Amino acid sequence: MGAFRTFSMHPFVRRACQLAAGLIFVYAALPKIADLPAFAGSVHNFHLEPVVPVAAVNLLAMTIPWIELTAGLALILGIKTRAGAFVYVGLMTVFTLGVVAAMARGLSFDCGCFGKATSTTIGAKKLAENLLMLAVGFVAALERR
Amino acid sequence: MDRWWSDGTERGPVLWKGIAAILATGSLLGVAQNAIVRQGSPKDGLAWRYEVPKLDSLDAATPVSSAAAAPSPSPSSAAPLPPDMNDPLGLGAASAGSFDVPDVARPLQIQISRVKQFFDAGAAVFVDARDTAEYVEGHIPGAVNLPYDDVVTDPERLEKFDPKGKPIIVYCGGGTCELSMNLGFALVNAGKKKVLVFMGGWPEWSTSGFPVAKGKEPQGS
Repeated sequence: MGAFRTFSMHPFVRRACQLAAGLIFVYAALPKIADLPAFAGSVHNFHLEPVVPVAAVNLLAMTIPWIELTAGLALILGIKTRAGAFVYVGLMTVFTLGVVAAMARGLSFDCGCFGKATSTTIGAKKLAENLLMLAVGFVAALERR
Repeated sequence: MDRWWSDGTERGPVLWKGIAAILATGSLLGVAQNAIVRQGSPKDGLAWRYEVPKLDSLDAATPVSSAAAAPSPSPSSAAPLPPDMNDPLGLGAASAGSFDVPDVARPLQIQISRVKQFFDAGAAVFVDARDTAEYVEGHIPGAVNLPYDDVVTDPERLEKFDPKGKPIIVYCGGGTCELSMNLGFALVNAGKKKVLVFMGGWPEWSTSGFPVAKGKEPQGS
């Protein structure tokens, strides 16, 4: 544990994770921004009605990609980096919970995570991918001393 | 911020303010971009409220009984209607329209009365999008069972499915049935040209007193 802590606290490792997380978010945000209706459809596919009313799907669809982009740029540029990392971890947690909820109800569809062109179907692989991206975010969010 | 490329020292109130700033900036930019997009072309942007997508209706796509009103501009010569045993006098013929279905990029919706006409004439292939257990309990006679959940993991079943040129009518458990919509889109994506979705689905069919069949799919279909 000590070795891992030292490793993940190393400035270069943390910076690498910040860059990786930032690039992931920018890469994920752009195709969604380019096709908002498609992303709204993807959000609706998750059927989060009990938590998020159907009518609110569009609000999420128009704001989430831009929050991703802003947080991603903050991480890449090193401005408000830690805040960007916190937003990244927060959103990624919500996305992962969405995937888990969809899997638990046996839903299987293209999640639209990186836009419509790159299809990723909800499933164990997607979940593993999200957990890995979440881990990157945690390292990126570590406080620099 | 001693080294700008390795910032990450924020904590406490500064950190929370930063998070709030990112969320606010992102939300504002998103709303602004959407507004700009909508000014250019409303359908490329999003309305404030999300509406569950509605499919166009087959009746709207092929105006029924336009023959009396105006000479039919349809380039494909209207196929003679098959004899309808439930309507020997042809009273329903005017409203029955033809069984021509246009090639579609999105599935079309079809209402139960038209579904029954297609069924009676044998003019369409029925596809049941529910899972096999539900199919065995009861289905529209002659329907092929293509459970949407299986098709997702085994797309070859879509490729193999051959309607032999007939229109495909997809149905499922009714209500806000997503299965038939999803399967409808999957069929179109798999290159099927004439795809109709019967939104009322099994509940509407079985409560209308129309013929039903039970048991497994006949082999070799």
